[in-house]
Amino acid sequence: MAHPSNHFQSSVGRKVVMALSGLGLVLYVIFHMLGNLQVFEGSHALNGYATMLRDMPILLWIARIGLLSLAALHIVLAIQLTLRNRRARPVAYAVREYRQASFASRTMAVSGLVLLLFILFHLLHLTAGVIDPSSADRLDTEGHRDVYGKIVHAFQNPFIVACYLTGQLGLGLHLNHAVTSSLQTLGLERAAFNRLIKAAGPTVALLVVLGNVAIILAIFLGIVRG
Amino acid sequence: MMKLDPKIPAGPLETKWDRHRFSEKLVSPNNKRRIKVIVIGTGLAGASAASTLGQLGYQVECFCFQDSPRRAHSIAAQGGINAAKNYQDDGDSVARLFYDTIKGGDFRSREANVYRLAQVSAQIIDQCVALGVPFAREYGGQLANRSFGGVQVSRTFYCRGQTGQQLLLGAYSALCWQIERGQVTMHPRTEMLDLIVVDGQARGIVVRDLVTGRVSIQTAHAVVLATGGYSNVYYLSTNASGSNVTATYRAWKQGAAFANPCFMQIHPTAIPPGDEHQAKLTLMSESLRNDGRLWVPKMAADHRSPGDIPAEERDYFLERRYPRFGNLAPRDIASRAVKTVCDEGHGVGPGGQGVYLDFADVIERQGQDVVHERYGNLFDMYNRITGEDAYYVPMRIYPAPHYTMGGLWVDYNLMSTIPGLFVIGEANFADHGANRLGASSLMQGLADGYFILPYTIGHYLATAKLLPVGEDHKESRAALQRVAGRISRLLNAKGRRPAASFHREVGKFLWDHCGMSRNQAGLELALRSIPALREEFWRNVVVPGSGEAFNQELEYAGRVADYLEFAELLCHDALHREESCGAHFREEHQTADGEPTRDDTCFAHVAAWEYREHAVPILHKEPLAFEFVQPTTRSYQ
Amino acid sequence: MTFTLKIWRQKSPDEKGRFVTYKAHDVGSGMSFLEMLDGVNQGLIAKGEEPVAFEQDCREGICGSCSLVINGIPHGPDRGMSTCQLYMRRFPDGAAITIEPWRARAFPIIKDLVVDRRALDRVMQAGGYVSVNTGGAVDGNVLLIEKDQAETAMDAASCIGCGACVAACKNASAMLFVAAKVSHLALLPQGKPERTRRVKTMLDAMDREGFGSCGNQYECEAVCPKRISVRFIATLNREYLRAGVVESGLPAEPESPHAESA
Repeated sequence: MAHPSNHFQSSVGRKVVMALSGLGLVLYVIFHMLGNLQVFEGSHALNGYATMLRDMPILLWIARIGLLSLAALHIVLAIQLTLRNRRARPVAYAVREYRQASFASRTMAVSGLVLLLFILFHLLHLTAGVIDPSSADRLDTEGHRDVYGKIVHAFQNPFIVACYLTGQLGLGLHLNHAVTSSLQTLGLERAAFNRLIKAAGPTVALLVVLGNVAIILAIFLGIVRG
Repeated sequence: MMKLDPKIPAGPLETKWDRHRFSEKLVSPNNKRRIKVIVIGTGLAGASAASTLGQLGYQVECFCFQDSPRRAHSIAAQGGINAAKNYQDDGDSVARLFYDTIKGGDFRSREANVYRLAQVSAQIIDQCVALGVPFAREYGGQLANRSFGGVQVSRTFYCRGQTGQQLLLGAYSALCWQIERGQVTMHPRTEMLDLIVVDGQARGIVVRDLVTGRVSIQTAHAVVLATGGYSNVYYLSTNASGSNVTATYRAWKQGAAFANPCFMQIHPTAIPPGDEHQAKLTLMSESLRNDGRLWVPKMAADHRSPGDIPAEERDYFLERRYPRFGNLAPRDIASRAVKTVCDEGHGVGPGGQGVYLDFADVIERQGQDVVHERYGNLFDMYNRITGEDAYYVPMRIYPAPHYTMGGLWVDYNLMSTIPGLFVIGEANFADHGANRLGASSLMQGLADGYFILPYTIGHYLATAKLLPVGEDHKESRAALQRVAGRISRLLNAKGRRPAASFHREVGKFLWDHCGMSRNQAGLELALRSIPALREEFWRNVVVPGSGEAFNQELEYAGRVADYLEFAELLCHDALHREESCGAHFREEHQTADGEPTRDDTCFAHVAAWEYREHAVPILHKEPLAFEFVQPTTRSYQ
Repeated sequence: MTFTLKIWRQKSPDEKGRFVTYKAHDVGSGMSFLEMLDGVNQGLIAKGEEPVAFEQDCREGICGSCSLVINGIPHGPDRGMSTCQLYMRRFPDGAAITIEPWRARAFPIIKDLVVDRRALDRVMQAGGYVSVNTGGAVDGNVLLIEKDQAETAMDAASCIGCGACVAACKNASAMLFVAAKVSHLALLPQGKPERTRRVKTMLDAMDREGFGSCGNQYECEAVCPKRISVRFIATLNREYLRAGVVESGLPAEPESPHAESA
């Protein structure tokens, strides 16, 4: 009998870790979207929410570091598995026809890369304020940092909006396959739930993207104003 | 001079096997690991034997020509496996399975062998269940049974229409375990091309590595042939295209007697042949006859579509001729009845080669869903091949060569006339007499491999005097030379005709003159014509490529060369057997209404043929004594 | 009918392969795809040229030998069947057909369209069995098995080991093959005692052989001649996770009950 290697070193083990880290990130993305929807309630609500988060620096930094580690783990494993998978078929087919693989599932690497670039852009833009220094932190009338004003300012810029919409496209595509796929990787399968599991990916992707895009477009189209 | 000693233990039938096992010598456990056994073939018999021998501690070298042991042709058996479990409490017993098999074989098999087969049948099911074979189950969780192929009890265990596959995968998994344990060394894509006999004992084989083309010598203390049957000598058969006679035929040429080669089972329910490009006949499981009804139009050459033929103008010929068994009449009887109605001009479909197998009644009675559940995959398969939907149009079927009851002669210990050469499964002649009952081949293959050979080979290995034999032994070198000579002769013929055309020609010849019915004139014609065809083969065959590489055409041509010789042996045997029994039907020996007449006075024997170079083979007879059953006329009317 | 065939020819494992174009003439619509290739080969042999090497044996969809990628799809355009069950009536007259071998690092090409699939056997040898000796098995009815469970096990067990799942997978993964075997035995009481070890050793073997990992695209299911469901892959994953949990409470290397004492 072959000596069993470490349980999470195997291809399935790595997939499991990818699925878990991915699901963690998905939970964050949902949370993030829900929080930002407060933009529709006006500057008071959103800025108050932002201040509440800032007022818990330890938790905030734990969350930030946790998220970054999850993302890093997810990406490293993705790269490892992709390289391995490339090696598994050294000579490509001359003709290739897919039968049932979804577009999203075939573009996971691309959508993942778009998503990664977008996240970097997003962090540099709104978190670090490097991309558009003109939107640097100001205080609102209540003395809270004016996150609301910053967002409204940012999404009036067509270039920024285009970047964010592209990012959302990547996010939607990625989640569309990822959520259902991760449930499969975690072994969730019961005849009674299969339709639910199948629907999970597209549903989550749709809701998250709709929520985020609603914010962006509402500002860009002037429905939400500064 | 060859001597046939069946070595049947004396005493009551019921205890022969038990007493024989006790009287057999055992090999001491420490010696087993120094003993090497070669097993050729990884079907049910070969895989079960190799795994069991490995488990016992022998060093097993196992060979198959396929790329994986799991692809041996046992995998294609559809219907099921018989066992005298009497789970249905419908009157089954070891004695009844024994009697059904002996009678089904038309009293041309050995009582002692058949009784032993029936005895171990129950163990086979238990063993397979333990290995994880997913047999069909009842709602209560118990094993399900069905009635199959010409018997009146339900004793057939099954896994949908893939019983052979599941049993083989079970045996293959046991083999995998022994390979992992290092007890069995597996040599896939390796073909046996000759047998090495030293001092009258089988001591090794010559094999060709089909990937590199390298020919090499493998020596051992004993050799087990589990290489299946030779239905493909007919070119068109239900067998896999790789199934061949080469291993048993080469063993025959080295001195193993070949028994009853003319006993060839023609399966009644294959899809009829189409055009000449057709490479194989696809079998539709016999289980279809449980619910389907066979019929032809009463009027000859009736070209109306089946739906337009009213019930009173249909001839349900099996129900008419064999009212007691009807559509479930044994294979040989059903096949011949199909041939008869077709010969009389009632056949349907292209060339009038076919009869209807109609499910309209059962669909009306039980609904299409029930039929779909039972036979869905078979209906799909039929639809794919013919483009017709059997839920609405009756299937067309026609008989096809399917299984060979004949094979190398073996004694009660499954040893051939060459000491140390054991033959198991379809490759031997032992248990089915002149006709095999449905679902009995799987039973026999596994009985031989799991439960019989592992005992009997031990006695041989414990008692035989076996001197060391190496690759340098002169007999080894001679065998190697024979193989190398044949290969270079094939490659250097450099003619114009591909081997397949010779194969098709000899197959057609056999089908016409030594097929479902035979007569003296036809057999003599065949015996005159085959040598000429063989002569042309060696003069005009073309085999491209080289011998030192992967060369499928070379493999095939070698097998065809053996068919061209073996066909003659088949005809000799058919000619000698001046009676009609089981699958062997001599037109000279039938009653006024076309039923076969068996001749127990002159032919209650096994015909074992001994090879002679450039001469007619010598016939030896092993008389069949029936101590426990009385041969009766096999009537299914 | 007439067809233009673009066939991958490769003399040996080490030599470079290339596509060669052949014409198949006088093809009947009732001919199988392999019989059509037989026809092409007979023409080549008669000319003394080497025929196209391809695998086939039973020609009824059960042995799993045949293995052609036809116009980019393993086993060709029809679902739920192997190459040998494909008939030429499926193609329009005059069609151009590209024929390639299974392509995967774990399946090196032997010649033309023939690949070496022993990797699958080695995965089986790593644990695809129930370790029981011949003889001494209890009566088959002692183990009662629910009908539904037996049927599901049979669904998984019907795998023919052709390797189309690997050929179709973007990552050349053998997950569906391993899943079928692991699920078959995990679903039955006979397979339970070894399920923890089995799933690990078989998956380790799969990785060792150089197959890729599962991308959950389910192309494997779409080309499987036996329509084996990807739900078994979820079962495999679950078994693997379970093994991880169970094993942490066991000695690292359970002693093999069959280790030779001598």
